[in-house]
Amino acid sequence: MSEQPDAYTAAHVHEALAQDPRVGELGIGVEISDGLVTLQGVVPTEERRGAIEDVVRELLPEHEIRNRVSVEELREAGEPEVIA
Amino acid sequence: MRIAAVADIHFGTESGGTYRRHLEGIEHRADVLLIAGDLTRVGEPDEAQALADELRGAPIPVVGVLGNHDFHAERAKEVVDILEHAGIRILEGETFVLEKGGRRLAIAGVKGFGGGFAGACGSDFGEPEMKSFIRHTHEHAERLGAALDSARADYRIALMHYAPVPETLHGERLEIYPFLGSYLLAEAVDQTGADLALHGHAHAGSERGTTPGGVPVRNVALPVIGRPYKIYCFGEDEGCEDDDTLTGLVRASGTAAG
Repeated sequence: MSEQPDAYTAAHVHEALAQDPRVGELGIGVEISDGLVTLQGVVPTEERRGAIEDVVRELLPEHEIRNRVSVEELREAGEPEVIA
Repeated sequence: MRIAAVADIHFGTESGGTYRRHLEGIEHRADVLLIAGDLTRVGEPDEAQALADELRGAPIPVVGVLGNHDFHAERAKEVVDILEHAGIRILEGETFVLEKGGRRLAIAGVKGFGGGFAGACGSDFGEPEMKSFIRHTHEHAERLGAALDSARADYRIALMHYAPVPETLHGERLEIYPFLGSYLLAEAVDQTGADLALHGHAHAGSERGTTPGGVPVRNVALPVIGRPYKIYCFGEDEGCEDDDTLTGLVRASGTAAG
């Protein structure tokens, strides 16, 4: 990715994470500052978390990547809500 | 009657085995499982097949609507065919009716679409693309209203992917609210009546809201509820306890189960 303001780079990364067939995620937070990319969000599987980092690394090979995306951990279903 | 509901499970080909285990014993806690859209990662048929394999033979009926992710690969018809072949009912303007103990529960489902909420919404105006966007939401809201209106049941649920109210979007960035739902969906619910409206789509949203007409709205997106499903029960006298608890109560009271 050629030299451009970080705001545009972040937007392009966000778009790539939506469009790349390995990922298809819309809800990943992307922050870029001083050569550091920070990724945040929650995904269903470890494979998807890894794919996100792969896509970003291919796009921005010169940037450091901080992958704070986590994998969903589900609690028990819990008590029912009564709808009056 | 009891329903279990979730949305946004985003099932991929690598997701096999991650959800079915959470349905262990669900038949003792709910009468139907509703999935409010984004069943698959990007709407590829092999993802639908993985989900079909995961849910086939579930102990209670599974009923859903598609979400935006389910349309991304532009193979939504194949996705629906695969899921329905496995016994999962997908609604788009139709109603699913469940009968139990002399009561009827009707679920009217549509995907819905965006456009925003009263005071800050798009209009059927301008370029063809903009008109198409808003008309798509109108069509879905009309289908939802028609399905609810035709449902003859003791309890009616509106099931959709997009949000009908902004309350359940709190936590999402305001700038994207128009892409997350539309007041037209709430209007359809309020004009025809429903006991509960369920939606997904807004992963960073809030769980609870209410339509302007007073219908409870619940965002059951999996990242919001943090559980494999939430259970909603209609009527305090309807046996909201799970079967094990109810059996325990009956045994403790010494009366016969009826």
